[in-house]
Amino acid sequence: MWCSSRYALEGLVREFSRVTLCPVQKFSQTACKNTVIVERWWQVPLSKEGSPPRLHPRRHRVYKLVEDTKHLTKEKMELILTQTVPKLGGRGDMVRVRKSVGRNKLLPQGLAVYASPENKEMFEEERRKIQEGKAEGSIQTRTGEMTLKYLKSCHFEVGMKNNVKYELTSEIVRRQFLTRLGVFVPPHALKLPDEPITRWGEYWCEVTVNGLETVRIPMHVVNYEKPRTQKLKKRLQNQEQVEEEEEEKEEEGQRPRTEEPAKDGP
Amino acid sequence: MPLHKYPPRIWNTLKLTQGIYARLPQHYLRSLQETRPPTPVHWKPIGVKYRISPKTGARERVQDTPIPIYYPPESQKGLWGGEGWVSGFRYANNDKLSTRVRKCWKPQLFVRELYSEILDHKFSITVTSRTLDLIDAAYGFDFYILKTPKEDLNSKLGMDLKRAMLLRLARRDTELYPDDPVRREQVYSRYKKFEIPVEEAEWVGLSLEEAVEKQRLLEHKEPTPQFIDHMDKLVQELTVQRLSEPQVVQK
Repeated sequence: MWCSSRYALEGLVREFSRVTLCPVQKFSQTACKNTVIVERWWQVPLSKEGSPPRLHPRRHRVYKLVEDTKHLTKEKMELILTQTVPKLGGRGDMVRVRKSVGRNKLLPQGLAVYASPENKEMFEEERRKIQEGKAEGSIQTRTGEMTLKYLKSCHFEVGMKNNVKYELTSEIVRRQFLTRLGVFVPPHALKLPDEPITRWGEYWCEVTVNGLETVRIPMHVVNYEKPRTQKLKKRLQNQEQVEEEEEEKEEEGQRPRTEEPAKDGP
Repeated sequence: MPLHKYPPRIWNTLKLTQGIYARLPQHYLRSLQETRPPTPVHWKPIGVKYRISPKTGARERVQDTPIPIYYPPESQKGLWGGEGWVSGFRYANNDKLSTRVRKCWKPQLFVRELYSEILDHKFSITVTSRTLDLIDAAYGFDFYILKTPKEDLNSKLGMDLKRAMLLRLARRDTELYPDDPVRREQVYSRYKKFEIPVEEAEWVGLSLEEAVEKQRLLEHKEPTPQFIDHMDKLVQELTVQRLSEPQVVQK
């Protein structure tokens, strides 16, 4: 009576799985395949042009599995981000991600859109506007934010010689930014204090990133030292440190010796 | 000796020339008759008419022979992307001299949530990975449904979705995103090239039975009771009689 109970159960389970979306798997003897591509074992004889070929009822239904697309190399998909996504990029960036990431995360959450020609054109126009500085209410790019963060946390020194009379200009500061911090600052993005800087001391300078946000960076104007002298100083410092440590060790070594006889004394 | 006046294989086409079938809209009838072979999915077409034979080096004529594929009824309720069951035989051990074994290759199916921008709704649809790839290639679910012809879509659900989308586009109603007119305009302008008139969009993707039913309902008129007809007739007759009588004018 219950010979077909298995199928009934299977059907029920399938119905429930549709409702609750619980992962129920059907058991199959063969591995799951994607789109299979098959081929006939027996060659089909040529027919007259315009008429369908005559198929043998048995032989021409014997197929050979040529290819299973499941095992092709997995291609990546191209998307354009609409928001900043950590580890991927900022708005307007074209990224190549795995299909699963794109389909399950980026597209449904609205973090990215397909790289269709229309979308590409739209984002290119937006980028052009930002570069021209016409965009209103535009958002800082991801790299811009990273630059801001870096600039806020860095220590900036400008070395000036003591034997020459000087006035700190924008070019010098920008050169120092490039050499010391590795940040290229265009001339319009840097703002120095109004009064001319001719002495050592502590000053402020302002850097505008992408024409949107401005950071105030403390600028230490200090004595310039040649790299040679810097190295020498460093080496001397190291030597001093080593000597101090040795002295400390010696002191520590001597102390127990001095204490021991004192203990023995009484 | 022929058994029928017309061979049975043309009955279906003949049927369309008479009765209610002949009164169906022309664009619908055309869509029924204009069918092209679907894109090959389970076999590789040669794609050329002649080629140089790898054995003899001489030019020879070649022919594509499509592999018959069975589309089960479930495929009409999902989007299988042209895939179906390839049922036939194989040789054991991939050896032509070995035994012939029955074999049916079936596609692997997934249930995925697909969001339609035009309908502003999420559908959970049975799909194959080929469908997902096709959707990506078309840059979106709506584009896939609208771009793909009937033969490649190969599903009733797909055609129903297409009809719903085309109707939305044709009517340009404000039901879509009622509190966001900017986005609505954006969506309508993006899919502008697919727009067709409402009268045509209503018939897209209907099966023949559905179309006939629709036509029947359109033509259907409530029968008027007979006494009304007779009364009208009588009234007319009486008026005619009255007019034909000589009018007596008294002085």
